Amino acid sequence: MMLRPEEKTQRGQRYVQALRQQFGTIIQEETWQAPEQVTLTVDLNSLPAVVDAAYHQHGGWLSVVAGNDERPLNGHFALYYVLSVEGDETHNGSEPESCYLIVRALVPPNKPEFPAVTPRVPAAVWYEREVRDMFGLQPVGLPDERRLVLPDDWPADLHPLRKDAMDYRYRPAPETEDETYEFFDVQGEGVLQIPLGPLHITSDEPGHFRLFVDGEHIIDADYRLFYVHRGMEKLAETRMTYDQVTFLADRICGICGYAHNVAYSNSIERALGISIPERAHYIRTILLEVERLHSHLLNLGLACHFVGFDTGFMQFFRVREKSMKMAELLTGTRKTYGMNLIGGVRRDILKEQRLQTLQWCKELRQEVSDLVGMLLETPNIVQRTQNVGRLEPQVAREYSPVGPTLRGSGFPRDIRVIHPYSAYDRVPWKLTYKDGCDVLARTLIRAEEFFESLSMVERCLDTMPDGPILTEGFNYTPHRYALGYVEAPRGEDIHWSMLGDNQKLYRWRCRASSYNNWPSLRYMLQNNTISDAPLIVASIDPCYSCTERVTVVDVRKKDVKIVPYKELERYCRERKDSPLKA
Amino acid sequence: MAEYDIRTDSKFAVKPDEAVNALKGALLKDIRRSAYVYRVDCGGCNGCEIEIFAAITPIFDAERFGIKVVSSPRHADILVYTGAMTRAMRVPALRAYHAAPDPKICVAYGACGCSGGIFHDLYGVWGGADKILPIDLYIPGCPPTPPATVHGFAVALGLLQQKMKAVHHVQGETERSQLISPQVPLSLRIMIERAARRMAGYWHGKRIADDFLSMVDGGNLSALSESLHAYLQKRDDPRLAEIMTLLKEEYATHLEGG
Repeated sequence: MMLRPEEKTQRGQRYVQALRQQFGTIIQEETWQAPEQVTLTVDLNSLPAVVDAAYHQHGGWLSVVAGNDERPLNGHFALYYVLSVEGDETHNGSEPESCYLIVRALVPPNKPEFPAVTPRVPAAVWYEREVRDMFGLQPVGLPDERRLVLPDDWPADLHPLRKDAMDYRYRPAPETEDETYEFFDVQGEGVLQIPLGPLHITSDEPGHFRLFVDGEHIIDADYRLFYVHRGMEKLAETRMTYDQVTFLADRICGICGYAHNVAYSNSIERALGISIPERAHYIRTILLEVERLHSHLLNLGLACHFVGFDTGFMQFFRVREKSMKMAELLTGTRKTYGMNLIGGVRRDILKEQRLQTLQWCKELRQEVSDLVGMLLETPNIVQRTQNVGRLEPQVAREYSPVGPTLRGSGFPRDIRVIHPYSAYDRVPWKLTYKDGCDVLARTLIRAEEFFESLSMVERCLDTMPDGPILTEGFNYTPHRYALGYVEAPRGEDIHWSMLGDNQKLYRWRCRASSYNNWPSLRYMLQNNTISDAPLIVASIDPCYSCTERVTVVDVRKKDVKIVPYKELERYCRERKDSPLKA
Repeated sequence: MAEYDIRTDSKFAVKPDEAVNALKGALLKDIRRSAYVYRVDCGGCNGCEIEIFAAITPIFDAERFGIKVVSSPRHADILVYTGAMTRAMRVPALRAYHAAPDPKICVAYGACGCSGGIFHDLYGVWGGADKILPIDLYIPGCPPTPPATVHGFAVALGLLQQKMKAVHHVQGETERSQLISPQVPLSLRIMIERAARRMAGYWHGKRIADDFLSMVDGGNLSALSESLHAYLQKRDDPRLAEIMTLLKEEYATHLEGG
């Protein structure tokens, strides 16, 4: 998509101006990919300063960091720090304006290192560890030396996403069969380590948690994910062509795959300047909301399960089947819809399906409101979830979490409002946020969003325009790049795609919502009892598979450092003056 | 250096054991309808995991066959491996295998579990679960639906085999397969189906094309218009009317052209 006639003007000029004023010649180049997307190439040494200014002075949130091996194009590695800049409420008192501001810096191949942004913007921590794994670029000043994405048995100097490193099918013999990942080592009198995983009982997916507890109380947590790293980004750049990747994007996540699919399609459609038909926008919106229906019911069911209300769990799963049937009716399959092509969708919604969906929406509204009523009247649920797993707004601001996790901490931030896509600016709907900061707030948000999604499906079905569902006959232009973004059930999914010159992608960076939510989980776990741990983990509705990528960095006021173990030890013993307080 | 064989060159490798295989034969008789299942996600996208969840919850209710999901491999009779076998999950998957008491049934679940699926040849995976483990049953699908899952388990437990009857068809001397609608020329059928599928999608397109072709009466355009009008009035769907009108235009051009 989606050069809409009304938005030819470039949004975000004011931030570019302000940054130019502040940094002068440090900003070397300015290019616009779309009316709301601007890339600024900056001097490598000033990268942290520019990202910091955009993040802290102009209301920026870190969306994704993409590394790219551009040596065949311009002789350098490149780093793209993508920020959604939304302005400060106090910003000159003018109308709020939001854009994606991408800070790009070139890294010379003979000195593959760059100044780490993490000490200034903690949200970058996972991204910089990932860039080190995948490209071998060393973030100077990043305290955490551990691998993030690559498994323990992977050779040390092999970086899969370098263009000249290896064939995508290359499988080196395992270097080791033991776990070499170094977890925190918190010690102290009465402190017990509880290893949990990688196969564990709280959730289906592999992830390795270390909880450090004193009696029943969690003092700290460390965790390791990325057990399911498969190498999808490399696959998209090698075996598949750019128009096949929509079907791969569906398989990033079995729960919110369609959101990825739309985000990917949007990024390519923006890069190529394809405008997609109105009807296709509506069909995409309907399917995105149908996906949110089943995903939120799943999470509400799990919330019941983790507080020991298994009847509720079974009941939520019973009604959830109706949303699965809805997906099957509209797309032909319960999961992995495979509905998008570059330029539109593959299947129309005719009257028969429309009427049936409207009927099911009505039934679902009744059934789920009965169940949610029952859930909230169970005294247990409020007792178990209120003030549990608190995500303080300051921590949330520093780590850029997304979706209900962020909206539960009082931030009214939803990509559907800030950067509208598909038909979200065409149908009226209401944004939900709460300032409870706890598990209860996040659960209630999901319940309310469920009903809003139902209404949105109904409105879209009622007002859907006629006309074609697919744009055909566009041209593939090499080396264009752009962002695609979608508010998935768990928050912002963002895809940065760059086209190659062979009907393939040159680079695809897909970032799922949970990737941004994991790093803040550590702060939610602290100061809770062990019995609440699974509940807290479930409250961010984590999706290991799509995240597949925690760390020892800590916020202390604005500067970031490793909390010394001695300090933690002292805290374990004395249990006062927490070193982790912001 | 010899090529590394992931199946045998590991200290956790599964070694064939005659005694265990003999026990396996008796397993089904022993556990009957009380099978404990442990799921091992080795790199799945969650699609399979969530469909297994759906299969054990009220609508599909696999527990009525005695299939129960347990939370430790130590309790399991059946191990279900989902997802392409990633490098990082190989050792945990093998440890789960060794933790389960012998004899046990191993199931590869989903396209990725069966063969590695779309990820089959990537650097981060070894392929399907059968690359490192002895697999007894494959449940394919991306993801398998809950009915397919229940069916798969029923096969694993030997509840289904006796009910399946194979029918072998031998083509007769004069037997020829039939065209779907012999009265419509094949080239016209292809043209209309393509146009309809482009406009409404593969599934709807076929039905729309069939309806349209059933109204085509050998090139009589006004008769077609009349029956189309009646058809559309009954359906009362503006988008369908749009598609049918475009099909009629294509058909008219086709008549003029040839």
